[in-house]
Amino acid sequence: MLRIPCPYCGVRDQSEFQFGGEAALVRPAAPEAASDSEWADYLFYRNNVKGVHLERWLHSFGCRQWFLVERDTVSHEIRSSRPLAEAVDSDAGNSGEPE
Amino acid sequence: MKAGGPQPCRLPHGGAIDRSRPLQFTFDGRQLVGYAGDTLASALLANGVRVVARSFKYHRPRGIYTAGEEEPCALVEIGEGETRAPTCRAPAVPLTEGLVARSQHCWPSVGFDVGRIIDFTHPLWPAGFYNKTFKWPSWRTWERSVRRMAGLGRPLTGPDPDRYEQVNAHCDLLICGGGPAGLCAALVAGRAGLRVMLVDQDDNFGGTLNWERVEVDGRAPAAWVGETLSELAALPRVVLLPRTVAAGIYDHNVVTLAERSQVKDWRECLWTVRPRHILLTAGAIEQGLIFPGNDRPGIMLAGSVRHYLNRFAVVPGRRAVIATNNDSGYQTAFDLADRGIEVAAVVDLRERVDPTLEQRLSDAGTGVYSAARIASTGGSKGISRATVQHRNGRRLARLDCDLLAVSGGWAPRVHLLAHAGGGLRFDDATQSFLPDRLPPGISVAGSANGTAGLGAALQEAAGAARGACAALGVDAEIEELAGLATDE
Repeated sequence: MLRIPCPYCGVRDQSEFQFGGEAALVRPAAPEAASDSEWADYLFYRNNVKGVHLERWLHSFGCRQWFLVERDTVSHEIRSSRPLAEAVDSDAGNSGEPE
Repeated sequence: MKAGGPQPCRLPHGGAIDRSRPLQFTFDGRQLVGYAGDTLASALLANGVRVVARSFKYHRPRGIYTAGEEEPCALVEIGEGETRAPTCRAPAVPLTEGLVARSQHCWPSVGFDVGRIIDFTHPLWPAGFYNKTFKWPSWRTWERSVRRMAGLGRPLTGPDPDRYEQVNAHCDLLICGGGPAGLCAALVAGRAGLRVMLVDQDDNFGGTLNWERVEVDGRAPAAWVGETLSELAALPRVVLLPRTVAAGIYDHNVVTLAERSQVKDWRECLWTVRPRHILLTAGAIEQGLIFPGNDRPGIMLAGSVRHYLNRFAVVPGRRAVIATNNDSGYQTAFDLADRGIEVAAVVDLRERVDPTLEQRLSDAGTGVYSAARIASTGGSKGISRATVQHRNGRRLARLDCDLLAVSGGWAPRVHLLAHAGGGLRFDDATQSFLPDRLPPGISVAGSANGTAGLGAALQEAAGAARGACAALGVDAEIEELAGLATDE
């Protein structure tokens, strides 16, 4: 069981949270012009990162806030967690962004 | 005492048992008596019961090999009816009034088991023979008799009527293992004000101090353990959990503990603990030696012989041979000799033997075969003789004995460390695997870390506790604890 630091509530058990998948996916800039494969990339394809992974979590049995967690998928070490709002501007996304 | 009846292998005095409280129990229907403070294994040994189980495949007689949770041989069935528990390790079962224990995997009795025919005809039964032998005319023809021969305990069929509890807990420092190192670390961290949980699988804290004849801080071990425990019990932020096994370390150092109950309301309690730091002081397990016939009843780990002798005042034999590859086996010879039990010889695998140990042995009226090993053992329901051989194969002696104490060195208990992803390295000096590459938030101290000697273990544990305090941002004042132990 992971112990996840909610930026609002503090460290809690994993069972209080819901996983929200890979963070920092970028919606195609011009949706009407995007090709099927660009849509598929955005909607379905995800990196299976070995190493540091940026992901979304929802504190569903707590403050019900979404936030971002930087987790090492090998060791489960959690490098950082921060509120989603803070991350939106500054975040460059995961290292291996799909082309 | 009157109700106690004769216990042929119990010494008239000594041991940490309460002789004023005899406890009745049965083994295979035989009415036997032990004392409060006994385990099932020590009570069986005190009553002279040697064969308690049968081996898995060949139905060879098996006795009690260890004095702890690591018991591989003495597997018995405890209790009756819906709460019966198959395949319990006899040394890990505390003796209670009216305990019902039964041997398993034998017919008609553990003393005379028809299944032994498998042993006498063993060339016919190579590994995997079932797959080739029992398919004509059909597996169904054989299934019932094979099933009866195989397996160990009988499983329960009905639902479990007992209640099980569950507790969630948090602490600063979780100490796994309540031996001298664990107690010392708990004292340091507890005095510094940390929220400490101290866990031990035994009923009594103290670990080796329960049975080794040593001095701690100039006092008897029981006195030191008692004082330490009463100080710990007075600290409001320290939780003591005896009868509790640290069962696993999970991601982010979440630890599960399984606590055995002493009351009727519930049977076991599962603790889920989220400590900020974990200290492993789980001690070490003595290793056996490999030789033909090393599974006969009456063959026992040398440390376990000291355990039964000093803690339970039980003599597992009347004439002993010690086979060892390290110095700790000699202590068994001294302890036995001090209690007036004849030691036929010490058989040491090593070429060179410490002359002071050799001198002490001859003072005790026995001697040592160096560079020697046990070539074979004999005896039908238990060991009655052992053949000693030089390492080069030359036969040295045939010794009559009813107890063979073996010591193959001590291996640190590193199971929990391995759960957490810690590494091991092989250490040439101690010939054992020692902890290496500790995961974050976990430290190891004492003989679990391969540290030999009580004084060194206590120092290391105090240092580890201080380290944990520092990591958690607390000052620990513990200078007066350093260097307080002396071996006998």
